[in-house]
Amino acid sequence: MTALSELQRLRASRGGSARKRDNKAAFLFLLPWFAGLLLITAGPIVMSFGLGFTDYNLIEAPQFNGLDNFERMLTDERLHHALGVTFTYVLVSVPLQLACALGLALLLDRGLRGMSFYRSAFYLPSLLGSSVAIAVLWRQIFGAEGMVNQVLDLIGVQGRGWISDPDTALSTLVVLNVWTFGAPMVIFLAGLRQIPVMYYEAASVDGAPRWMQFRKITLPLLSPIIFFNLVLQIIHAFQSFTQAFVVSGGSGGPSDSTLFYTLYLYQRGFNNFDMGYASALAWLLLVIIGAFTAVNFWAAKHWVFYDD
Amino acid sequence: MRYTPSRRAALALAVSLAATAALAACGSGGGDASGELTKDPVTLRFTWWGSDARHQRTQQVIDLFQKAHPNITVKGEFKDWNGYWDSLATTVAANDAPDIIQMDELYLASYAERGALLDLGTASKYLPTADFDPNALGTGQIGGKQYALPVGLSTYAVVVNTDLLAQYNIPVPDDATWTWDDLKTIGGQISKASGGKVTGVQSWGFDAGGVNIWARQAGASLYDDKGDVAIPPQVLAAYWQYLADLAKDGVAPAPSVSIERAGAGLDQSGTATNTSVFATWWNTQLTSLAKASGKNLKLLRLPGEAQTAGAYYKPSMFWSVSSRSKHPAESALFVDFLANSQQAADILLTDRGVPANTKIRAAITPKLTATDKAAAEFLDSVKVSKPPRVTPNGASGIEAILKRYTEEVLFGRMTPQQAAEKFIAELQAEIKAA
Repeated sequence: MTALSELQRLRASRGGSARKRDNKAAFLFLLPWFAGLLLITAGPIVMSFGLGFTDYNLIEAPQFNGLDNFERMLTDERLHHALGVTFTYVLVSVPLQLACALGLALLLDRGLRGMSFYRSAFYLPSLLGSSVAIAVLWRQIFGAEGMVNQVLDLIGVQGRGWISDPDTALSTLVVLNVWTFGAPMVIFLAGLRQIPVMYYEAASVDGAPRWMQFRKITLPLLSPIIFFNLVLQIIHAFQSFTQAFVVSGGSGGPSDSTLFYTLYLYQRGFNNFDMGYASALAWLLLVIIGAFTAVNFWAAKHWVFYDD
Repeated sequence: MRYTPSRRAALALAVSLAATAALAACGSGGGDASGELTKDPVTLRFTWWGSDARHQRTQQVIDLFQKAHPNITVKGEFKDWNGYWDSLATTVAANDAPDIIQMDELYLASYAERGALLDLGTASKYLPTADFDPNALGTGQIGGKQYALPVGLSTYAVVVNTDLLAQYNIPVPDDATWTWDDLKTIGGQISKASGGKVTGVQSWGFDAGGVNIWARQAGASLYDDKGDVAIPPQVLAAYWQYLADLAKDGVAPAPSVSIERAGAGLDQSGTATNTSVFATWWNTQLTSLAKASGKNLKLLRLPGEAQTAGAYYKPSMFWSVSSRSKHPAESALFVDFLANSQQAADILLTDRGVPANTKIRAAITPKLTATDKAAAEFLDSVKVSKPPRVTPNGASGIEAILKRYTEEVLFGRMTPQQAAEKFIAELQAEIKAA
């Protein structure tokens, strides 16, 4: 109530003091977020940096141990394995996901009837994708007696326990990530709308086939959007946790085939009472994501085209 | 970017020291429960893991206790097994541990040796332990201090579905003499007779019990008295070789099916769904299994026990009190109610194992259901020797490690020998690091 009347008063008043009051209101509204950032995010981040240089078992006080945690990373076989799994997941699932998103955005951009329905329908998985409920559902679908095997059974193919077989478990998580293509798709759609129709008209007049139009007009003009989606989804994929945690029951199994980096970090910290090392691992992940993003920005100079 | 290692190192040091100082405050412990009980209102937090049936029974016991002690409120916090340990670790770290903690043998040393648990010996005024078998009490002691009070006892067993056996015209094997080869042979006959729909044996290798017994039957042990890993690699390799053979010969289900079931819990196990005839379980799980399967199930002693006995009593769980509890005396009083009162026992029965309190055990025996009675009688009939050393500090993750290497072996990604060597090295490293 008070916030509303404040807004009305602000809107009514004009002149020199209005801006100042605007700022005040903005700070007021930002305050809860800011407090949350400091207490819930920034505080623990600073803390974890300190803990990265300690041996901390959660129960007793942390002991400073210098760079021991970082040295240990060099010989930690499970960490190297987790890195392999995570890189595979990121490098396979992100391009696939973006390709699906772009493909569907192109289809939807052609002005289908009931477009807003499809847009929502395809966007929905993005909202649900990293939820526990969907991960549980995934377990059922890809289980030994799940939906996938029932369908395969109908066409006479012998299925298997997809999530309990180390050869296929990671693939089911890749499929799950690809399935959440809705968010980048919506952004692609917005981007496609920005491309002036006259370019396509001119190209049609000159007799350029559709494929050529896509390559020479759509892709270059959409490249900033592709870049944006790429950066965002790579970061997102590196941080994936829930899916692997739920699908593997927290183990990263079978045979560590779904041991995401974040899952390994969690196991060290909370299952093995090894929070010092886990904190150091968190900072390594930050460095890795930072490096990937930096490389992305560097590479962008060569392929992203800004039309201005 | 200019690189200035000295300044960075200094910053890192400063920040980490600050963090260390900030956290040092949480490290202290060591309460005492010999003080007087208060008349003021007190709230105790009590946490446990388990099934819905356990939650209901436990709540009834809490209600009874509160009626007897109107100034004490007990707040129950219950979870499933996996979430339980994650949450306990974080609450203890946050200096917000529940007062009364249901503890497991796997984690006992990890918490006790780090000072998170109260020495219940200081609480003997409120929590007498005279009715407990001294051997059972010993399982809750570390360095001579009673950090945990055993609740119930259980022992590793084979559960057999006698209805299915009858269906395939196979007699129940004599568990006084049978060997591991017998289990493989009979299991193979069942898999063959059912055309693979029902397998003879449900694969195991996902819990510490199986490997403990296997080691003891070979005259070895998983850990030595000092708490180092002591199982010889070839013994462990033979264990995995046996499991791999069961899967390869179709005596047990395909590896991916076994692993999925192992992760899905009791209700979806081969025993509960009547798709495996023989399976290893703790004897106290008989009632839940019989309820889920709806068939006649029977407990058998493990194969190979006639040759070298490896069986032992495992405390199914313990009661512990947090060393940082603000109300240690009242907490001890509540544990006393759980462990020593007939009123509570009449409700809890054998839900947490056959009671380790011998007086209580005798008192509830006439009230047990048929399967509970069978489990209790089985416990008495098994010839046991000294229990294995408590899982050492740092080794609480043994089941996760064990499961991982079992998977490697079942999927043929490692030979049993390789897995055995790597398992031993990894477990030993965890113990050393703690």
